[in-house]
Amino acid sequence: MAIEDLKRNVNEKFPEIKEIEEVNKKRLMIFIPRELLHPMAKYLFEDLKYRYVIVTAMDSQDGYEIIYHFSDDTSGWVINLNVLLPHDKPEIESLVPVIKGVEWIEREIFDLIGITFLNHPNLKRFLFAESWKDGEYPFRRKHTEEKK
Amino acid sequence: MAKKTIVPIGPYHPLLEEPEFFKLYCDGEIVKDVVWETGYNHRGIEKICESKTFEQVFYVVERICGICSTSHPFAYANAIESIPGVEIPIRAKYIRSIVGELERIHSHLLWMGLAGHFLGYNTVFMWAWKYREPVLDMFEIIAGNRNNYAMFTIGGVRRDIEEEKIKPLQDVLDKLKPKMDLLVGAVMDDPVIHARTKGVGVLTAEDIHDFGAVGPTARASGVDIDIRRDDPYAAYDLVDWKVITMPEGDIFAKAAVRLLEIYESISIIEQCLKGLKKEQEGGIKNKVKTIPPGIGMGRAEAPRGEVFHFVKSDGANRPVRHKIRAPSYTCIPTFRKSVVGGTIADAALATAAVDPCYCCTERMAQAYDYKSGQMIYNAADLVKLSQQKTQVLKNS
Repeated sequence: MAIEDLKRNVNEKFPEIKEIEEVNKKRLMIFIPRELLHPMAKYLFEDLKYRYVIVTAMDSQDGYEIIYHFSDDTSGWVINLNVLLPHDKPEIESLVPVIKGVEWIEREIFDLIGITFLNHPNLKRFLFAESWKDGEYPFRRKHTEEKK
Repeated sequence: MAKKTIVPIGPYHPLLEEPEFFKLYCDGEIVKDVVWETGYNHRGIEKICESKTFEQVFYVVERICGICSTSHPFAYANAIESIPGVEIPIRAKYIRSIVGELERIHSHLLWMGLAGHFLGYNTVFMWAWKYREPVLDMFEIIAGNRNNYAMFTIGGVRRDIEEEKIKPLQDVLDKLKPKMDLLVGAVMDDPVIHARTKGVGVLTAEDIHDFGAVGPTARASGVDIDIRRDDPYAAYDLVDWKVITMPEGDIFAKAAVRLLEIYESISIIEQCLKGLKKEQEGGIKNKVKTIPPGIGMGRAEAPRGEVFHFVKSDGANRPVRHKIRAPSYTCIPTFRKSVVGGTIADAALATAAVDPCYCCTERMAQAYDYKSGQMIYNAADLVKLSQQKTQVLKNS
């Protein structure tokens, strides 16, 4: 699907989405509220058959950014869903029911930055040992800790 | 009732010397479930990258993997250069592609050798690794190192491939081609290898989509994806080559895809060397003063599939966030489909078929009884079991 068609379809299907930005050559960022994660991921992954790439989690000034990367291998575009979670409630629905492949990365993000993925089938430590101290997340920034 | 004693056999044996822990839950001969654990040697490279300058990150990510050590700098270069929108000189494009393809050849040969060893075909192992040696020598000619080449920099490459180096490189390729014919013939026509790998560890195109698997694993299931063609970078859109796919999805298809890709890689390198001859020497790097604030997403087709790097810059001289995804991260979970339902003897081969790379250190594999949870085989036993099965086939 041509990228202009995708933008138009997304706007028609999901009028709540206000911001779609071309962050770079062949890289599209769609900013979505967390409630839209499942329908939007289903649309990209099941209807359009875009390939799931990975999920990136970042601690920014405004909250935790969770970026779901998908690839359209027919056009070379990377389509990204960006969900902003508030610092005081780092929770989001797990995407495992839609995409089996996200099981590991959700556990990794839980480990490294402390996001809780609701209804994840096996949300336990992934990279760190079970003995790792609770509440210690290497990818959380100072400003987040100071806010608390 | 007699007291039961569990005797674990030996210390854990590394299979491919990398960090992963598989538990195969078995009912008799049949694998019922696979559980894996990782993180035995988490090095925190993403976190380390945040404390390095953009230039230094190249040398950190190069050390993620010892086999495909250029694929991470490649994807990182694509990511970081996309933020200011830098174009690299055409000579640098050719050199980058040459290094990338040489790496594919040596990595595929390494895998082929190991697959031969697991099968109990040590001749294949010896041949494949013998023919891999001159490829590593080519790296020495180009970079001065057989591994960790330090060729990449922002805006181009760090070393040129001068005119006098082109002939020795072409000579190695000329000698490699007949050897590859020999190896490919030996593997593709062997009835015992057919018996051990055809219809074993099958992955469908749906499984590939579910897990997001990439590279030869996906292409051997008929999924026609290759970042070199789909999102072209370096010199891949300047040369003629084709993407190899097979529809079967079994271990044989994965081996065939890799072996046939070697021919494509040789062809790409030859065309790039010809391209280099036409270009004037020097001019291998465009100067990039600063990286502005922004987001870069770079991809490169490593021997095992797509490597993905996400870099965020705030305008300072180091990344604010650097996310790295190696291809094995999405290929390894497919074991749930390829190993479950098969026999234990095929498990060692099926888990190796995706060419898993846990980025350096130990990996462990053991078989557990499905009902009692007791360990019945360790990694060395699994390899032995697989080799015995081939021996039985040979003798029958």
